Amino acid sequence: MKRFFTHLWLWLSLCLPFAGAVFAQDDHYRFVMVSHVGPNDPNMIWLTTSMKTFNEKYPGVKTEYLSTNEYSLQNFIAILNQAIATHPDGIAVPILNNEALQPILDKAVESGIPVVAFNIPDARPVGERIKYLTYVGGDEYQTGLKMGEFVIDQANAGKVPKPVKIMCANHDAAHQGLKARVRGMTDAMKKIGVPVDELIIGSDPAKARSIMQSYLSTHKDVNYLYSLGTISCPWVYSVADQMGLKPKLSDKGVTIVTMDDSPNSLEGIKDGKILATHNQGFWFQGYLPMEILYYYKRMGIYPLNDVLTGPVIINPDNVDQYIKSVKSIIGEDAYKKQLTW
Amino acid sequence: MRKLLKRPDLGIIIGCLFIFALFTLYDPAQWFNWGTVSNIGEYTAILGLLAIGQSFVVLIREIDLSVGSVYGIVGIAFVGLENNNVSDVLAFVLAMLLALLVGLVNAALVIRGKLSSMIVTLGGLFFYRGLIYIITHGAVTGVPQAVRQNWFAQLLGGHSLRIQNGFLLLLILGFLCAVTLHETRFGNHLLALGGDPASAESRGVPLGKVRTIAFALCSLFAGLSAIVTLTNDPETSVSLGTGMELEAIAAVVVGGTLLTGGRGTMLGTILGSFFLTAVRSEIIALGAPPSWYVSFVGIALLTLVTINTLLLKRLRISG
Repeated sequence: MKRFFTHLWLWLSLCLPFAGAVFAQDDHYRFVMVSHVGPNDPNMIWLTTSMKTFNEKYPGVKTEYLSTNEYSLQNFIAILNQAIATHPDGIAVPILNNEALQPILDKAVESGIPVVAFNIPDARPVGERIKYLTYVGGDEYQTGLKMGEFVIDQANAGKVPKPVKIMCANHDAAHQGLKARVRGMTDAMKKIGVPVDELIIGSDPAKARSIMQSYLSTHKDVNYLYSLGTISCPWVYSVADQMGLKPKLSDKGVTIVTMDDSPNSLEGIKDGKILATHNQGFWFQGYLPMEILYYYKRMGIYPLNDVLTGPVIINPDNVDQYIKSVKSIIGEDAYKKQLTW
Repeated sequence: MRKLLKRPDLGIIIGCLFIFALFTLYDPAQWFNWGTVSNIGEYTAILGLLAIGQSFVVLIREIDLSVGSVYGIVGIAFVGLENNNVSDVLAFVLAMLLALLVGLVNAALVIRGKLSSMIVTLGGLFFYRGLIYIITHGAVTGVPQAVRQNWFAQLLGGHSLRIQNGFLLLLILGFLCAVTLHETRFGNHLLALGGDPASAESRGVPLGKVRTIAFALCSLFAGLSAIVTLTNDPETSVSLGTGMELEAIAAVVVGGTLLTGGRGTMLGTILGSFFLTAVRSEIIALGAPPSWYVSFVGIALLTLVTINTLLLKRLRISG
């Protein structure tokens, strides 16, 4: 009997680590974030930094960040297909285009890969939209709408000129999130009868400048410039400045608003070059999709509603708080390196 | 008259006269506005410098698809050096040496590696763009304001008599390149190689040397174009030069240079750059979406190349 228990104990002591490993294997997931925010976009650091934090918290989970290097829907679809082909345990993906991504993502979901949308949602109602678990990110339409309403409030308070016409500078024609921002701004401005134009400027600075100069030279009634991405806000400012449109904040000249809490946008507000920008909770957009996928795989639970991480309007009143927060997340060095003013 | 009809750039000369007359009649206030002239001049200089370099390569029956990325990496190297307190003249020299190195590597791979220039430079297009992303991590600063006030930065990016120095540089270099092409031994070799490589070789043209110089010039012009851009405009981005290779090739072809080599002019290339820039500017000014321009480039390319081909055929028939 004693021999039996000795054998049993030996077997158990040998098996326990394996059993532990078997349980721990439940944690060994591989999640892939497929993104349009690549090395060409300063916002990438938010996503990669927050995924790093996730990895520190869940060391058993492997996360991968795949992105395009340019604004191209076609290339995005190519890497998405590539990611799905490796059959990961979960995918986080921005819905750059409903029609283009629906067949690919629905097929991925049917094959058992859970999907979380981030940054750009499928704007259609639940039931019609792509079968992702949930969406984590800002509301792109609300982003434009809130920015428009903020501009109107500031103008009514006499702090900035009344809007006459607004030009939205769009650096990525295929990005439906940017289009939604334009729709939001247009709807806000409809209330006061102000027209809104969208101008596709592309992502090369020299060409973007040339396009904006051509436009502004004939649309002299435009007095608000809405840079739809942080990449183009210094270009917009410099074109307006060189054309003598007085973009520095005052009760005259043109007024510039932009997007995201990047160092460029924040320092632009500090220097009085930009009226406002917005925060869409980029850090959360990297972290939360991974955590949602994790708990879905582990426990089968996920948020039933979309998780909205923005928009919050950043203006001269609260910009210091955001500068401090951004520096604490990405570091002082990265903050300085991203300044292109 | 017959001499005029024989010119490879006749199509673009007609094209430029046509748009000049059209915009003068249709939108004179905008067309003769100094802001418009200055905007067109600024981008024509950038595109024109890129396209002149490309012309040298196209004239020898080759192509350089890496110029947009070379433009980007040389520009970012220049800015990086400036931001690390390297003097602007030295930063310029080092950045241009980088451009030269790229050109020599392209030439070596084409000549020694016996690879198609399209493959080699397509590889370059991706490689140098990727290098930009790796080096910069997505964020690059511009040329500092203080540096842009220095005499050297002003020489390239400033203004003389309200005209951008970049545009004057384009005219001067365009003239020198035209003289080189039509009046010098090297130009003669270049056209001979483009016309018929076997015949050129039999007449003692050093094919390797001519090809090497053409690729080197192409990259050097791309680098110069980037530095002219950045000393004029402070903004930069890792997307600097994205897609410009195709625009440069379009300017060369619209300008009358044959993709089969051996026939073309620098005047045509400069006019081709002006034509594309001016039409885009007017399309936007008239309220059409800028995306129309993309389709327009295609139409202009086909129309002007057809005009050139018909003229060429007519001349051949009439002996």
